[in-house]
Amino acid sequence: MKLECNLPVIRLLVQKDWQLFQKQLAAYVLAAFVALTLLGLAKPWSFYLGSLLLIVILVAVACFAISTSLLVERKEQTLAFVMSLPVSPLDFTLAKLAGNLLTFGVPFVVILGGTLAVILGTPLPNGLVVLAVLVFGHVLLAYSASLAVAMHVESEGWNTFVMIASMVLINPFLMAIGQIEEIAGPTQGDVIVWSSAALMILGAQVLLSVVAIVFVAWRHGRRAAFY
Amino acid sequence: MTAAFSVHGLCKRYDAFALQDITLELPEGSIMGLVGVNGAGKTTLLRLLTGLAAADAGSVVVHGLRLPEQQVEAKRSIGFASEDMRLYRKMSLDWHMRFIAQIYPTWDADYAAALLRRFDLRSSQAVGEYSHGQRVKALLLLSLARRPRLLLLDEPTTGLDPVARVEVLEALAEVLRDERRSVLFSSHNTHDIEQLADSIAFLHGGRLVAHADKERFFDQWRRLLGLGPVGLKLEGFPEIASIRAAGSQVEIKVRSWQADLPARLSKEGVEVQRIDPMTLEDIFVTSVRAGGQL
Amino acid sequence: MGVARRFIEIALMSDARIHAFDHLRALAMLLGVAFHVGLAYSPLMQSFWLTADRRTWVGFDVVLWFLHLLRMPLFFLVAGFFTAWLDERRGMGGLARQRVRRILVPLVVFWPLTHVAMTRMTVLAAREVEHPSQVLSFLREWLLRDDAPMTLPSLGHLWFLYYLLLFSVLFWVGRCLDFGAVLRRWMALGAPLVAATLPFLILPGFALTSAPHPAPESYFPQLWALLVYGPFFALGVGLHGRLDFFEPLRPWLLPATFVCLGCYALFYHSLGSGQAEAPWATAALQAVIAAWGTLCCLMLGLRLLARPSSKLRFVGASAYWTYLAHLPLVFAIQYVLLDRDWPLIVKFTLTTLVTLALCFASYALLVRCTPLRRFVG
Repeated sequence: MKLECNLPVIRLLVQKDWQLFQKQLAAYVLAAFVALTLLGLAKPWSFYLGSLLLIVILVAVACFAISTSLLVERKEQTLAFVMSLPVSPLDFTLAKLAGNLLTFGVPFVVILGGTLAVILGTPLPNGLVVLAVLVFGHVLLAYSASLAVAMHVESEGWNTFVMIASMVLINPFLMAIGQIEEIAGPTQGDVIVWSSAALMILGAQVLLSVVAIVFVAWRHGRRAAFY
Repeated sequence: MTAAFSVHGLCKRYDAFALQDITLELPEGSIMGLVGVNGAGKTTLLRLLTGLAAADAGSVVVHGLRLPEQQVEAKRSIGFASEDMRLYRKMSLDWHMRFIAQIYPTWDADYAAALLRRFDLRSSQAVGEYSHGQRVKALLLLSLARRPRLLLLDEPTTGLDPVARVEVLEALAEVLRDERRSVLFSSHNTHDIEQLADSIAFLHGGRLVAHADKERFFDQWRRLLGLGPVGLKLEGFPEIASIRAAGSQVEIKVRSWQADLPARLSKEGVEVQRIDPMTLEDIFVTSVRAGGQL
Repeated sequence: MGVARRFIEIALMSDARIHAFDHLRALAMLLGVAFHVGLAYSPLMQSFWLTADRRTWVGFDVVLWFLHLLRMPLFFLVAGFFTAWLDERRGMGGLARQRVRRILVPLVVFWPLTHVAMTRMTVLAAREVEHPSQVLSFLREWLLRDDAPMTLPSLGHLWFLYYLLLFSVLFWVGRCLDFGAVLRRWMALGAPLVAATLPFLILPGFALTSAPHPAPESYFPQLWALLVYGPFFALGVGLHGRLDFFEPLRPWLLPATFVCLGCYALFYHSLGSGQAEAPWATAALQAVIAAWGTLCCLMLGLRLLARPSSKLRFVGASAYWTYLAHLPLVFAIQYVLLDRDWPLIVKFTLTTLVTLALCFASYALLVRCTPLRRFVG
């Protein structure tokens, strides 16, 4: 089968998801606004509260994007409506991936950039950069895994489990990297040390994320029909 | 005459069900009713015809395009609405119409407005607030106003009140004024099919039991009432689909009527007093009870 | 025929009123140029401003801090009006594209240019100027230290672009979550009550910051700035389609002006000799001046500036470019003038005129007839 995609319809499908979920997205943007304003107050309590709120929003947006655009559509049987339009499974998969990656990717990049700017531009030790990037790497991996499962598995139970479990695993992950001296040690210093362990973990996170997404896109994109 | 669709040797197997060896063709400009009990394979056949499902064996061609390979092109000329299809609850019908209009260049805004009035739908209202009947009509409007050459409808009149049913049927009848447009619709309600369809296809247990012009069914099936001996056995009458006896009263339903049947029955002691044509529902129920033989 | 003529009259009137809004925006921006030039001669800013001159005059303080309380509130009110206007004409997608083209792109392009230009000039001035300002002297010593830590660059005078983007995002959020209902309820109170409640809405913002309020140059949204400028932006949104809203308050124009001037006298008196945390009383005075002063400017603008004029059109069209480009020019001229023993008024006038002349000329040459017009024209 030729891998041809129908860009105008993909754009319309992404636009449709955007219109469907913009109300909820607006609420998240408002929450992010509150979080940024808390950071702007430059008080220790507001800084911690703001950072925490931002991470919560990032995780919530990740889960929200997946659940609304994939699971809810399946549950509310609107999927049949979309599939009856002149779209191929590849168009549909690409539209879902693009919509999801956009919904997650934009806040992810903004918050990652903001976090790095705060670490580098304030008296916080610059060594924290490695830890912060690894935490964001975990969120990316958890999101990619949840997205891949949501696109591949219809069971709502499994999807909820993977979404919650992968995000909750951030705690043991933090504890685990805290035990690795070459990562935990330099976090107090002002020098950014990319140890081999840190690079391996980051590489694995990025690689696994890409593999999960590409695998799902490939599996679904090459299918001839939806059912 | 060119075919709106033609399927040949179609098979699709699921865990608990299989559609087997379906060969069927719908000429352009005609309307076909698909009759079958729940689980007979109607929805599967419609999904195969829209390219949503891929067949395990056999071929599906719609307007000369092979499915599912050329489903994108084929779906541009297909309007498909099924009972399990839902619209976006929070969005209005207006929003849905704008969305569909952007996808289909053939979208007819004037016709959509006319259908809105005919179906008495408030287009600014969220679809989630619609009743079942309004939802079906909205789906139908979205399918019809894109002016499809082939309309595939899965149970379009199920659960509708009598008024809504008539409105939907009238709209379908109107579609057929254009000779190039074709409709395949499945229904439990044989009255609707009887009213609209040119030809009828019976599905049972995943197999196509019969496909013929509507009139042929009516010509072939008869209901005979008469008097006969108690414990009557009528072996050697393969055309008889069912016999029911109450005392000496006998009701016989025949699947291929021959004028010499009353005389032959008389030899077995059955005196036929009345011969009636049968309704499609009666034909359908009788054939299902007879194990799907037509 | 009569109806058609009346319709055209109404349309022309609305068009003229929109000109008034455009001219008010230009005025607010051009006053910003004068404000930034004048800061060098403000006694109050002697310890804070890089180009602070040896010669100061209290008259500058009196005028500048009054303007400071009106200029940006007026700007954000007009911005809110145009945001709603654009949304109506082009939809949210069109508005988003316009904001990217006219605000985000200029911010991303001008910020590094301005930052590099200002930093280079300031370092050069710190080394070369014979009569440096207090901040410049401090910087000179700072530069001599080997271990001088780097400071994070701020948004500088381009902070208003950042806040315009933030308010545009909030506008979209408000539209999605139907905050418009709250705005409509507020506007339904009528002009007198809206005018009466506006100072209360912005009061917490003034109370959270120092007086006179600084520029919110941080990359993080500043709560005080959101609380002060947000209500003006929202009021601007609410005024869209009802330009006559404050017409019933016209008889109050003169009394309100006097109240503002009276409040300003008290505020100026409370300023003392430097910036300080604003106690609630000072904040309340600022809130009254900013709210009512801005409304007075709006009413006056709608009366006096609602006429198309070729000169005003040029000034209006070039105001955005002028405001974006002016500060490095002002600093360059004022660093040179720091060592000139010229009368203060000459320095002020020369800096203002040369800056404006350069900005207008560069607009005419580089922007007006080039693709840049789409971004900053």
